[in-house]
Amino acid sequence: MSRLSAQIVAVVAMNLRSLPSRASISAVTLVAVAVVVTVLLSFLAMANGFRATVAGSGSPDVAIVMREGSEAELNSTLTRDQVNLLLDAPGVAKGPDGPIGSAELYVIVDGIKREGGTRANLPLRGIGPSGVALRDGVEIVEGRMFAPGTNEIVVGQGAMREFAGFELGKEIRFSRSTWKVVGVFAMHGSVFESELWADAGSVQSLFNRGSRFQTMRLKLEKPDSFEVLRDFVKTDPRLKLDAKTEQAYYAGQSQRTSDLIMYLGWPLGIAMAFGALAGALNTMYTSVAMRAREIATLRALGFSGIATFAGTLAESLVLSIVGGVLGALATWIFFDGLSASTLGGSFTQVVFSFQLTPALVWQGAVLALVIGFAGGVFPAWRAARTPVSTAFRL
Amino acid sequence: MSELHLIWRNLVRRKLRFALTLFAIFIAFLIFGVLGGVRTALQSGVDLMADNRLVTVNKINFTQPLPISYLNKVRAIDGVQVASHSGWFGAYVRDSRNVIVAFAIEPESYLQVYGDEIRLDPAQREAFLRNRQGMIAGEALAKAQGWKLGDRIPVQSNIFSRSDGSTTWEMVVEGIFRGKEESSDTRRMYFHYDYLNESRAIGKDFTGIIVFNTVNPARNETIARQIDALFANSFYETQTDTAKAFNKAFIAQLGNIAMIITSVVSAAFFTILLIVGNTMMLAIRERTTEIAVMKTLGFRSERIFRMVLAESMFLSLLGGLLGIAAALMAVAGLHKALAGVLPDLSLGPAVIAQALAIMLALGLVTGLLPAFAAMRLNIVTALGRN
Repeated sequence: MSRLSAQIVAVVAMNLRSLPSRASISAVTLVAVAVVVTVLLSFLAMANGFRATVAGSGSPDVAIVMREGSEAELNSTLTRDQVNLLLDAPGVAKGPDGPIGSAELYVIVDGIKREGGTRANLPLRGIGPSGVALRDGVEIVEGRMFAPGTNEIVVGQGAMREFAGFELGKEIRFSRSTWKVVGVFAMHGSVFESELWADAGSVQSLFNRGSRFQTMRLKLEKPDSFEVLRDFVKTDPRLKLDAKTEQAYYAGQSQRTSDLIMYLGWPLGIAMAFGALAGALNTMYTSVAMRAREIATLRALGFSGIATFAGTLAESLVLSIVGGVLGALATWIFFDGLSASTLGGSFTQVVFSFQLTPALVWQGAVLALVIGFAGGVFPAWRAARTPVSTAFRL
Repeated sequence: MSELHLIWRNLVRRKLRFALTLFAIFIAFLIFGVLGGVRTALQSGVDLMADNRLVTVNKINFTQPLPISYLNKVRAIDGVQVASHSGWFGAYVRDSRNVIVAFAIEPESYLQVYGDEIRLDPAQREAFLRNRQGMIAGEALAKAQGWKLGDRIPVQSNIFSRSDGSTTWEMVVEGIFRGKEESSDTRRMYFHYDYLNESRAIGKDFTGIIVFNTVNPARNETIARQIDALFANSFYETQTDTAKAFNKAFIAQLGNIAMIITSVVSAAFFTILLIVGNTMMLAIRERTTEIAVMKTLGFRSERIFRMVLAESMFLSLLGGLLGIAAALMAVAGLHKALAGVLPDLSLGPAVIAQALAIMLALGLVTGLLPAFAAMRLNIVTALGRN
């Protein structure tokens, strides 16, 4: 057994050392695998980044209350009376100034995409005095918060990054009203960073919404207060509204798009992997053919078929692993952290960043190894069966 | 032995290598074909739109409302042939997740503007116009929901409520329309604006967008500017564009899909270029002696050049055509599966023409170097090498 493993080590080392003599054809396999892994990983990183942004936005201890059947904030309408009733609903946490809740508006305005210069849907959210306190992790990174009752706007840094015209100090015209950007906010990379925030009252009057709101966010007293609240808003005849935890709401919104990207990425990756596999097989069969005499000589010297098999398989695996590593590196260098935006579940742009994680790299590595293994095992089989007589043929 | 036969024999002398290389090319063109179909699907709806169709929306964003009174002001403008309007209803039936694309329209004018896209039996059209509670559903929508002519459907809105708090509007299926083409998306429905407006609690006398046809596409721009100037400095300022531009901008909201597709396709072709190019080089190197012998026998260098190039061309065309054939089948299969997402998915002649051009280029690029090498092969050194 130890003799066999010594043989295997010797043949593998010999094969790998002789790789430079097959440089161009080996490089083809390497690059092919690298490209396949890059394509797959960039799609997975895109899907993952979108999901992380949207699904990570919602808090489990904040409830969103909407009109029955509305499904999205944009569609919902709440009256002033309903909002007041909701503040007194059971299960709502209380702060020094009473129940913690924010009645909000969610209207869509045009932003100009920096890339391409086309108009795109951006959400302008009108928030109440507790709107910031309700959300954990809001920080002003530039300028200041808007003052209540004014036409001031703060811009999420994602919206700022992807859309032109929202720089600090800029004035924005929505119809006859003029708004001023007074600050830029961040919120741990959440979907809120794709939004513009202003005072709810100002949005009501300048968008002709009267005393109507759209959604109500309520801070929950305890994690299990949600059920009490949900039952209350559903059954009270004056309300008859839907409540969801913010976490559930955003998880539902991320699913479709991130699934769609994943379902695009995997078939593409697999189809391209087949192409690369054909290339790898070509390379390895050629490698075996080029080394035929060498392999036969080894066999004549008493090296076992298993050793020559292992040598060839190892060569293929090493090429694909190096290719896979290069692909992962390329994805990390060119795509990780890349900012992009797409139309999300709320019919507005969601700004997100590609996010490559070790788990994704592992998926890419598996694909590379599969190519390397499938591309090596058949040629290795042929190598192992190379007749000894080949060594003596001229 | 004819030259073609010789080329073919050369190509398939190593059957496994031939098959593998062919397969790699096949995959690349399969990807190209399917993604090309996706790209066409995103554009086709836009390309089919009439040149003289314009859309007026709220300048803040197209989801913001416009007063219904604007419609008559647009109609009064010289050069506007026929104008109508539509408003998003946010419809669903039974379950709020069973969302239906539904618009509240002014029926008569809307069917005039979209006479080409909404193909309706004249009798059904009459019935729809007469019944205030009537609606028309696209063939695909009616099929998906199991609606038949005369059915009464309780359509709910996720936006509007009636004055009494109910969110249901009962409607009667008076017509089932087809699209302009077999492949056109018909997963939507239209109903009377008046029926909605008289009973809704909020948004009374407002609509979503105004659509109209101009008498002449050359006057589009002037008319658009005239309309926007008319409503400038009002509470509801407008933005008027061609329907084509409007829809193109909407598709761009999804992201730079064209760029993503181009990148993926380039990556695939780059890989194939390497694989095929290398295989061809290898094949010619293996045949060094043989080519030298052919030259010795009197084969002219140009003829050798032509034969090697023909070999790579043939390889590329064969793999490419097989790939496009498979893409045609894949797209036909996906067309059904993705009817909801990409209704216009199809592999058009433009994509096939592009594929052919790429096949020729691929064959040329991968064959040129080996062909030169073969052509310039020196008999003495080649035979001396062994």
